[in-house]
Amino acid sequence: MTPEEPEDNGVRVRIRGRELSFAMTEQQADRARELAHTVLHEPFTKRVWSELAFFLLSAGLAGAGLSFVSFTMAAGLFLAITFFGLAVLALSLRSARGIGGFARGLARNMLDEVVEDPQPFAGRHGFLGWLQSCLRDRVAWRAVGYLAVKVPWSILGVLVAVSLWWDAFACLLHPLFGRNGGGPPVWGLARTFFPADDFGFGPTGFFENVAIFVLGAVFFFAAPWVMRGFVNVDRLLIRSLLGPDPTAARVRSLEQARTQTVDASAATLRRIERDLHDGTQAHLVALAMRLGMAKEKLEVDPEQVDLDRVRELVDAAHRGAKEAIAELRDIARGIHPPALDIGLEGALATLAARSAVPTELSVTMQARPTPAIEAIAYFCVAELLANVAQHAQASRASIFCTQQGSWLRLVVRDDGAGGAQLTTLGSSSSGLAGLSDRVHAVDGQLYLVSPPGGPTVVTVDLPLSS
Amino acid sequence: MVGALRIAIAEDSAILRDGLVQLLVDRGFAITGAVGDPAALRSSVAQNPPDVAVIDIRMPPTFTDEGLRLALELRARHEGLGILLFSQYIETRYAADLLADDAAGIGYLLKDRVADVSDFVEALERVAVGGTALDPEVVTQLLGATRRTDSLSVLTGREREVLGLMAEGRSNAAIANALVVSEGAVEKHVANIFAKLDLPVSEKDHRRVLAVLRFLES
Repeated sequence: MTPEEPEDNGVRVRIRGRELSFAMTEQQADRARELAHTVLHEPFTKRVWSELAFFLLSAGLAGAGLSFVSFTMAAGLFLAITFFGLAVLALSLRSARGIGGFARGLARNMLDEVVEDPQPFAGRHGFLGWLQSCLRDRVAWRAVGYLAVKVPWSILGVLVAVSLWWDAFACLLHPLFGRNGGGPPVWGLARTFFPADDFGFGPTGFFENVAIFVLGAVFFFAAPWVMRGFVNVDRLLIRSLLGPDPTAARVRSLEQARTQTVDASAATLRRIERDLHDGTQAHLVALAMRLGMAKEKLEVDPEQVDLDRVRELVDAAHRGAKEAIAELRDIARGIHPPALDIGLEGALATLAARSAVPTELSVTMQARPTPAIEAIAYFCVAELLANVAQHAQASRASIFCTQQGSWLRLVVRDDGAGGAQLTTLGSSSSGLAGLSDRVHAVDGQLYLVSPPGGPTVVTVDLPLSS
Repeated sequence: MVGALRIAIAEDSAILRDGLVQLLVDRGFAITGAVGDPAALRSSVAQNPPDVAVIDIRMPPTFTDEGLRLALELRARHEGLGILLFSQYIETRYAADLLADDAAGIGYLLKDRVADVSDFVEALERVAVGGTALDPEVVTQLLGATRRTDSLSVLTGREREVLGLMAEGRSNAAIANALVVSEGAVEKHVANIFAKLDLPVSEKDHRRVLAVLRFLES
């Protein structure tokens, strides 16, 4: 097939003297050209050769590793009746872990396949503890599993993909060796097309030579893709068996979430204490002080009471009492918003109404989330609206609260200046990053989209029950 | 007293600071400075030395024990400066730090005490002349935490009351006033206490405080 100049958005192809024309859209033609380009260039990219090298190296590593591990394990099991056997078994597992790490390193360096390191080995105290930790090391057992799967896969890969590469060169080079054969032996797929006697082509004629060369070229361009298929399965194996243990990873993420929750509640308590200490308590002390002064002034001889001064003091005390009450109300609302008692919708309506920026609210919920989720949703919206008022220079904001299956989705949007970032918005303790922690703690997600120039859209997904 | 007592105030809450200034001016004290953070007090004391510095324990920047550290620093630098620490909580630990080597010219009071203006002013005056003013709360905590309960159990109820007031730094006259007894009766109680607890007798009130505190802490 020789593609010719496309005209009228079509492609004309001449095959065995007959002219065929395909109507192709511009897009299809582009795609075809792109595909041809990729196929023709692929064998000359670095990636192909690193994949081949990786496959050969890792096959060797896995073969040697599996032999070693299975031999030592067998020896260990055989000797398990004695204490010594257990130690051999433990050492065998430790080396399996090491081989796994080596394979992971190979993948990282040669394939750019970055797999996170699994949990480091934590040997418990004492020899017995160490032995037990070795034998129960999930990472090591998974590495053994990797070797056990990887070895047969490597054998198949060598039979198919590596031999395809080999044959590609064998076939391409064959015509050089003239009519009498004697070129490099072929031992893969080529033999099914050209039955050869004992790993080599016999004497071949001109047309056969051309055919073998063409076949070599086809192999040459096909081999990278076959190899890639094998390597991709290998990547999958490495990711799933040599990476962090999913159970352990889950445990770790839960631990993280727990730490965040504990930290967040400690921070909240500290904030409340600070508010009470600096605000209400100070107000009350000042109030008591003024009343004390007034009392003393009234205790003198009735004739000499400076009534104006007493009135002033009582006046100031009265003002202080009202301020203290207002502050206390704000603090109490920060602990648990009373509006939530009537439901999330009502509470959000209060927030929207109190917001400094005109705010629209739309709520479509069928089920009621648990109180904890409602509180988080409420505080998210409160914090986000406060951010809008403080930072966004917005003229309008909107809140959407919808139920999507077993999830609650909150979207807070403003038409402000944009450019918000998780780290810069709000104060460090109660800012957006803090919100994000709170949301993560219940397995929720917080997304921020805020291009410079706006609009800023923050989406929070929360499970209906935590 | 020659001239008005000179007071410097470091308190980060503006409401309280203003209230204190008002109260002290009202009672005839001279205010040499009313500031909101440790650095400002440091320079105010250096420029215009007061008789007593009233210091809030929790101040910027970290809102932990800035006031306490400032108090120790000022005492080391300005001999004879009275310090009245002023806090919304009583931490026995702070009291121990503050009274580590001397109880002369030291006060540690809950902020609530300003409500009883006369008591507060009396405490301030006591600190100014080198006496001690410990909050009853401090004394209660010390009495509660002491391991000397065996020794204390030999005291009569009245003697314990006297011990507490003594630990606050009050003079015999003030104790007599508080308990509505004669000064002679108080002197007798004090002598009994010192004998029963085997404490060194001392004339100065602030040494007496220290003796009692050491006894409770040991």
